[in-house]
Amino acid sequence: MISDEVKKKIRAVVGKENALDSDLDRFGYSYDSSFLALLPASLPDMVVRPLTTEEVSAIMVIANEHEIPVTARGAASGRTGGSVPLKGGICLSLDRMKRIIELDERNMMVTAEAGVRTIDLYNHCAAKGLFFPPDPASWKMSTIGGNVAENAGGMRAVKYGVTGDYVMGLEVVMADGTVLTTGGKAIKNVTGYDLSSLFVGSEGTLGIVTQALFKLIPMPKKRGTIQVMFRALDDGCATINAMLQENVVPAAAEIMDKTSLDAVARLRKMDLAPDIEACVVIEIDGEDQADLDSQTKRIKAVAEKCGALSFRVAKTEAESEELWAIRRTMSSAVSALAPNRIGEDISVPRSEFPEVVRRIRKISEKHKLTIAVFGHAGDGNLHPSVLCDLKDPESAERAHHAVDDIFDAALAVGGTLSGEHGIGITKQPYIVKAIGESGVKVSKALKQAFDPKGILNPGKIW
Amino acid sequence: MKKKNDDQLLQEAREKVSQCDRCGTCLTVCPLFGVQDVEKVSARGKNTITRALAEGGLKPTADVLAAANFCLLCQTCVTNCPNKIKTDEAMINVRQYLMDCTGGASAKYRAVGWMMKNRGMIKFAAGMLSLLRKSGLNRLFPHGMAPEEYTRTHFLTAFAGPAALGQQTVTADVPLTATTKVAYFQGCGMKMMFPEAAAETVEILKTKTQLLVKDNVCCGIPHLAHGLREDFLSLTKENVALYEEADIIVTDCASCGGALKHAASYFTDDPEWKDRVAAFSLKVMDLTEYLVKTGYMPRRKVDATLTYHDPCHLVRGQGVKNQPRELLSATGKFIEMKEADTCCGGAGSFHMDYPDISKKIIEKKQANIEKTGASIVVTGCPGCLIQLNKAAKASGGKFKAMHISQVI
Repeated sequence: MISDEVKKKIRAVVGKENALDSDLDRFGYSYDSSFLALLPASLPDMVVRPLTTEEVSAIMVIANEHEIPVTARGAASGRTGGSVPLKGGICLSLDRMKRIIELDERNMMVTAEAGVRTIDLYNHCAAKGLFFPPDPASWKMSTIGGNVAENAGGMRAVKYGVTGDYVMGLEVVMADGTVLTTGGKAIKNVTGYDLSSLFVGSEGTLGIVTQALFKLIPMPKKRGTIQVMFRALDDGCATINAMLQENVVPAAAEIMDKTSLDAVARLRKMDLAPDIEACVVIEIDGEDQADLDSQTKRIKAVAEKCGALSFRVAKTEAESEELWAIRRTMSSAVSALAPNRIGEDISVPRSEFPEVVRRIRKISEKHKLTIAVFGHAGDGNLHPSVLCDLKDPESAERAHHAVDDIFDAALAVGGTLSGEHGIGITKQPYIVKAIGESGVKVSKALKQAFDPKGILNPGKIW
Repeated sequence: MKKKNDDQLLQEAREKVSQCDRCGTCLTVCPLFGVQDVEKVSARGKNTITRALAEGGLKPTADVLAAANFCLLCQTCVTNCPNKIKTDEAMINVRQYLMDCTGGASAKYRAVGWMMKNRGMIKFAAGMLSLLRKSGLNRLFPHGMAPEEYTRTHFLTAFAGPAALGQQTVTADVPLTATTKVAYFQGCGMKMMFPEAAAETVEILKTKTQLLVKDNVCCGIPHLAHGLREDFLSLTKENVALYEEADIIVTDCASCGGALKHAASYFTDDPEWKDRVAAFSLKVMDLTEYLVKTGYMPRRKVDATLTYHDPCHLVRGQGVKNQPRELLSATGKFIEMKEADTCCGGAGSFHMDYPDISKKIIEKKQANIEKTGASIVVTGCPGCLIQLNKAAKASGGKFKAMHISQVI
């Protein structure tokens, strides 16, 4: 509970229209895009929407003084409950902070506030021929602050890495309201600890990221799309591995199993040959058409050696769109197969991709649940989707056991719980298994140092 | 038909939104969220409110009703949603549910609903309007409800003058099948506010067919949208009975067309009316659909630059997108505007209920129209036309707004 007196102080900072506490508004900021139950709702006591770093700092001073929990939120497009205000208090919604502060073309860097949408940052840079590669599937709505706090990945990670790989510096408001600036535009920088990296993926538990400085790269001049069909998922994985070993690095390499393909085929009225068990969609980019043609030729040779059934190169922009639409509509198409879909986000060493998929097949049989598998085969990050009915207690129990087994399988092959969604609330029970007691102990010590009163996004990660 | 019980309405709404996985795609497309970015305004917010209401997480309060009413029903979220969640339909159900359990529709909606149910009142209002217009008093009317109509005569005087002379007069080239009975459905908005445009529609249709003109009642969409579902159902039945002899029913109002085409889905559990309404819904066509199908050529070419605003209930509600553009391209120089299919903020009575928000939305539309340099913005819905008239006025004469039947 926040007393009326404190609410008054908060309103004085952000203005009364930006401090909401009606039941309906509190409900609106109680959820994210995870499969956590909507009800009972984790209601914040107040939704606070600052416009500037100074306002964020002033709010943190008040929260720290009165020990009010503060959970940062952007577009609430997260998949693990990271922005859900589990312990009430303040939902600090940063979506009004949407200025792109500077595009430094000479250094190829951009500074943006936390509430800037990923797609807007991409377009802003693209207009000047610069490329901001991280492309989480939610890039149309997700915000930069959330991307940094969850270290969001995306389809281009195989060639271009994840959000954290582009962070050069951050502006962070600490639990007590101190404004910290980390990193900078110097490319080589070993002055002290690498503080920026501590906040990347910290899920709002160590500080509130208000601004980020990212490095950019030149925009690839040409892009092409290839679709390859396989008789077995293993053949698809083998193709991707062989490509990478031969130094043909695709900008994206996505794999889909038969269950996923059937789901899309049903919605998009596609006909699939009966012997197709897997589909790989590849994006390549390069300097010019000749560059693309040479990559295509090498990929084709590799794919054929690995037993490809068909090899299709998109000839037009529209055809390329059509091939990617299959992948982009996958989550929804798979969701439509059952009342609920628990979409997971495990990440394994690339070599173990086929093995973990084989294990997931067995888990699916063991628990008698359909598990669709698709994901970023190029970087070993896959999204097994457990299809179930959470309203049916028996199905829900089987689903939760299946998820447990999937995490065990990922850890057994040397992988981890999350590639790009974070731990939040939904993966908490597995954290000790993944990073060990010592990992949790060191994390807690860090947390204690940064946030002694434990007001920043309490109840998350472990 | 037995009145749907409230719980059933709410459970239906819950079912409609149950596949929302809260991804937030709708946040980026909702025109209302674009001008007021708090969660409850977005489709995601409305979907979760619906679920919480049905599952006991929220009480049916005035706040919740206000949130449900604060929706344009423009379906932009539905089109862009990966799971195609029908938030608009859910909102119609939730409004009805809340009206019923908070003591019925507000006096305002009841009054408007009564007037629109009543043929005599619609005619009286139409008469009043032309009187207002003649006297110039329409300038005093609030919210542009009494627009100054820019007529085909004005249009031809301006754009079919010397510059357009010497061009061939285009005539219809497709023969009509003698047996097709085509009827006109005249919406209240067209009758009350744009009688000249409605007259043009009739004239165009008469070049194609021996038109049946019926004394129809309101399509019922204003009633359905504001918790007067029973009125919607009885109006639909009246219209169904009235048009039984027609093979095709053509309307020049996007909202009427949408309501009539979708009427069947509200009668699926009514054994007596189910088949009759289904047959009726299948006969309905938008004016532009009918004209393109019959190979209509514009009455004359004009030397004007035209742009087109897609009414929500035509482009998303009925999937009619190319036909108006085809007709306009055959008439003058057609230029596509940016975000042509974004709601104009009119949305039935929304622009009267929330004038400030509506103004912000139409201002964006006005800027997009001005960027095309077109002298006329054309549309196919009287609701949109009210909004576009306001934009035209605010533009200080840079462009005029017209119904498509006045242009082609």
